[in-house]
Amino acid sequence: MATVGAANQPVLELTAAPASPIALIRSIVAHRGLIATLARKDFFVKYRRATLGVLWAVGLPLIQATTLTVIFTYVFHLNLSEDTPRAVFMFTGITAYNFFSTSIVSASTSIVDGSGLSSRIYFPRAVLPLQSVIANAYALAFSLVVLLVMTASFGVGFGWHTLLLVPAAILDIAFTASMALVLAALHVFFRDVRYIVQAVLLALFYMTPIFYPLSFAPPNLRIIIMCNPMTGIVELFRFSIGGEDPQWVTASLISLGWTGALLLLAVYLHSKWDRIFVDLL
Amino acid sequence: MTASSEPILSLQDLGKRYVKYDDAPMLATAMLRLWSRSRKSPFWAVRGINMEVNPGDCVGIIGRNGSGKSTLLQMISGITAPSEGRLRVRGRIAPLISVGVGFHPELSGRDNLYVNGAILGLSRAQIDQRFDDVVAFAEMEGFIDTPVKFYSSGMAVRLGFSMAIQSTPDVLIVDEVLSVGDLAFQLKCFDRMEEIREQGTTILVVSHNLNAVRTLCDRAILLSQGRIHYDGDPAEAISQFHALLQEQRELGEAPENSRFPLELGTLEVEKVELIGAHGESTNGVDAGDSIKVRIHVKALKDVDKPFVHMVVIGPNGLPVYGESNLWNPFEPLKAGELGVYDVSMRANFVRGSYLVNTAAGWVLEGVDARRCVPPGPINFYVTGRRGVTGMADLGADFQVYASPNGKGQARG
Repeated sequence: MATVGAANQPVLELTAAPASPIALIRSIVAHRGLIATLARKDFFVKYRRATLGVLWAVGLPLIQATTLTVIFTYVFHLNLSEDTPRAVFMFTGITAYNFFSTSIVSASTSIVDGSGLSSRIYFPRAVLPLQSVIANAYALAFSLVVLLVMTASFGVGFGWHTLLLVPAAILDIAFTASMALVLAALHVFFRDVRYIVQAVLLALFYMTPIFYPLSFAPPNLRIIIMCNPMTGIVELFRFSIGGEDPQWVTASLISLGWTGALLLLAVYLHSKWDRIFVDLL
Repeated sequence: MTASSEPILSLQDLGKRYVKYDDAPMLATAMLRLWSRSRKSPFWAVRGINMEVNPGDCVGIIGRNGSGKSTLLQMISGITAPSEGRLRVRGRIAPLISVGVGFHPELSGRDNLYVNGAILGLSRAQIDQRFDDVVAFAEMEGFIDTPVKFYSSGMAVRLGFSMAIQSTPDVLIVDEVLSVGDLAFQLKCFDRMEEIREQGTTILVVSHNLNAVRTLCDRAILLSQGRIHYDGDPAEAISQFHALLQEQRELGEAPENSRFPLELGTLEVEKVELIGAHGESTNGVDAGDSIKVRIHVKALKDVDKPFVHMVVIGPNGLPVYGESNLWNPFEPLKAGELGVYDVSMRANFVRGSYLVNTAAGWVLEGVDARRCVPPGPINFYVTGRRGVTGMADLGADFQVYASPNGKGQARG
């Protein structure tokens, strides 16, 4: 089964055979306009009724970063020897992680939640989780601007390393999107996924060097933390503001590996089930 | 262009099998199922469907609920994949079930049209190009920047419908949404459908509204139990549909009035006819006529308290009116006697095609009764009064109570 875009007239051919991965990817690319439109709608609808509007997209991580900074400075007396200001250090980690966790929470149930849409018209079902991820990416963009302003106001110098913020954000989005695609597909079959996701996200927050540097972890625990895909992403963000761990390259490569593997799995699952999902909604 | 003679839609041996899980799949049960595979029960929703539709055709698909219409449509619109066979559709498909899909109450009509258009597969430029036409067709010029939550449900439907119908699809799939909106807008949509059809758009109409199928389509497909029962002339398809309903009722498959147990060999309905205003047997009446449903009941055994029951089913498939004289039965019938009963009423109906289902039975004691095998429905057509819409014609009278020109008096 495949959707082949002919010169000017699309031809739909369906059989019981699953779609070829190439055809599916092509179809998703052809629907990029739809993904962008839906994501924009999501983003603006979310903040439309709030008086402070889109400021909340940045406000929440700022409040979270402030809380963590205060707690770990005055309660736990965490001693960061680095030259990166504590607030910037926390905010970086939180920005990278929050994008991931909020996206995953909404995206993993998106195919089931979107049943009103998908039982009435066809589009690749991958559009739904991608829509959630991209909608959150708008908020990420706002946060990154605030991060840069914060970095400058705390007197941290910009350099070529600041440019690494771009690949860091791209890796964050790519990893989140791959994970979202896989989870959204599995959630259609196993509704337990929603709760497993909540549990894992809770653990993952502490297993990611968000409010502590990677070097603070004892060696045996550090191996586990390094295997966490979010570690490499956070470290890459940290590098761009000059607060990275010596092991940032390894950690980033591990994240990249995770992203690649999940992406392959996502393409496999979606090309297999794209037009079957609706039967289980 | 649609110049080629190749069919726009072709289905070969198409079938869809669903698996009913007796319980929702959960991780735990999925694991258990590794050694007990008994909890799935597959069934075929449709099977062995072969059909071709040429560009510009208008095809109706009819059948009872559960006959596979929706599944077939879902496959044609690409929403779900077939389990066997092959389906080929050339061109862009706009299912009208998708009317107003993705409308968000907080967004303005304008923003919603862009979202809805994108879901229908239009690019931003294509939506820009059609925007004014869509808004004009929906008659929404003054409200397009108002959030949809302030719209009446009719307004939202009009806007969605307008978008779908102006999206110039190659295949338009029309379903029950046709019954939504006011009559004027419905007529406008019918006209517009006729127009785009002349421009070469293929239309599939799936409806319980047999009148719509009869007037719009030049071909109809009757589905029964997931298979094509008849494919051809709409009038013939509709009469076969009625025959099928009757047959299934006789087999006891769809007992519509199963309140009382069915018992064979006591009463028999020999004939049911509709008597018009002038005492003639007819199947066409004017709104407001005095009509009678004449039921000929033959007694095979002595029956103490025979009664009849009658339900008029409207064009939308819903009962309009039903009554029985269970509480006030007729005189006893001896074995071999024929009772001819008239159920008189005023045909206060709106325009459209109606069915009358009848039944005969006998009261045993109190409210316990038995019924005989019901006869098939009879069909009649009502020529409605002008300007009447809704479910029934209550015969409203329009008069001036007070007017600036003087006393209350209706203008002749």
